[in-house]
Amino acid sequence: MNLQGSLAALTAVAVMVPALALAHGPTRQKVDVTAELAAEPAEVWAVVGDFQDMGWHPAVHATTGEGGNTLDATRLLTLGAADGPTIAEELYKYDAGKMTYSYRITEVAVEVLPVTNYSAHLTVKPRAGGGSVVEWRGAFYRGYPNNDPPPELNDEAAIKAVTAVYEAGLSALVDRFGAP
Amino acid sequence: MRRVCPHWSTALARPDILALALGWAFAALPAAGDIAYVTNQNGGSVSILDLAAGTELAQVPLPGQPAGIAVAAGGFFAVLPDTKSLRRFDAAGNETGQVALDGGPIGIAHDPLRGRVFVSDWYNARLWVVDSAAMSLTGTLETGTAPAGLAVSPDGRWLASADKEAGQVSIFDLESLALAGTVPVGIRPFGLGFAPDGRLFVGNVGSNDVSVVDVAERHVLATLPVGDQPYGVAFARGRAFVTNQHADTVSVIDLGTLAPLGEIAVGEYPEGIDATADGATVVVANWFSNSVSLIDAETLTVTAEIATGDGPRAFGRFIAERGD
Repeated sequence: MNLQGSLAALTAVAVMVPALALAHGPTRQKVDVTAELAAEPAEVWAVVGDFQDMGWHPAVHATTGEGGNTLDATRLLTLGAADGPTIAEELYKYDAGKMTYSYRITEVAVEVLPVTNYSAHLTVKPRAGGGSVVEWRGAFYRGYPNNDPPPELNDEAAIKAVTAVYEAGLSALVDRFGAP
Repeated sequence: MRRVCPHWSTALARPDILALALGWAFAALPAAGDIAYVTNQNGGSVSILDLAAGTELAQVPLPGQPAGIAVAAGGFFAVLPDTKSLRRFDAAGNETGQVALDGGPIGIAHDPLRGRVFVSDWYNARLWVVDSAAMSLTGTLETGTAPAGLAVSPDGRWLASADKEAGQVSIFDLESLALAGTVPVGIRPFGLGFAPDGRLFVGNVGSNDVSVVDVAERHVLATLPVGDQPYGVAFARGRAFVTNQHADTVSVIDLGTLAPLGEIAVGEYPEGIDATADGATVVVANWFSNSVSLIDAETLTVTAEIATGDGPRAFGRFIAERGD
């Protein structure tokens, strides 16, 4: 496909996806990334456990939201810079005792993150021998809801993009808290 | 960066897959008992589980991201969205036939009385009608947008389709294959099932409830709140069991009073659900946990968990009673 064709295809997708935001491809994908940290779980949770502040992730410029850490709380992540793209999310599970929360993306352009119907869990657990383990797990469909997706919106592109987000976030935590 | 290790691809490297590819056809099935056929969509395989022993007898490679499943006498049918086909297998997992379905095949139901299999076309608002003996396409039936779960009524009279984006179920007369009517239900119905008394239970992913439908009269009898993102429905011991994908639970409903009897914690992202023939055990496929949970339908407790391949979906009737 030439460049013109690619751009035309992408434009068509961008126009179509908002109307079909709840439709999705045939196979849900999963990504599971973990990191081991030198700091104890409580210290790590104090940083990552606030749904209203995702400033620990290097891609997040600002977090604004409502509802604190209660169910159905919302947040809007602004990426990169003040005028950067946004991701709207909603909290659907929160357990401070178990140091875990679960959230869904309620709105994101596929050009920002090529996924639909995305949900994820972030959990901090004690590490055997001291320190902590942070696990970030996501479930989602590819960005293109219909058959025969373009390469930038297929299953592999979705997995690659989410993996990159998780690795960037957890690497920043390793830098911040050290490796055990 | 080295301490950050993605795990999602590890199942692809399982060395036992190759061994199974060579040897699974000779896996001995138990003389009798309940066997579960679990489609592992992400791993591209079917796990054949001995439920009484709590073991995986074989993991049959099945590339094509299998989702829908329907057991039948002597084997099972599996739907492969990625290779756009329906395939038929014997009880040990040997393929015995296939038919191409060009579209988005996903859900499936088997009508043993008339030798037909129905498969929903997620992308084209229709069902395929397949002759299960010849494995040939004999027709299509028009539905609402994005048909997903399918079910055949216990008396063999009705076929129901959950038309997800249309927020309705389509009801077909299995004898004439005519559309008997449609019934508006909740938001984004996906999985459904007939109770033994013929009432249709429909899980509405978008409204977190279950619609109970009188199929002959084609109206909603009741709408019952369940957990977050209900997916599949099964029946045992006078109770309905509903998997809640985002709650990691199974909601239990009394079929007599329609009262909630509680929620049972299972694995992560529970999806396909079915009951053993004697109604003693309900089995739930945990998509994220790569396992099935066994629930005692009487005490409503989890009694065992069996490992499966990657991404068990088991979307349909997946438990068969084998042997005597």
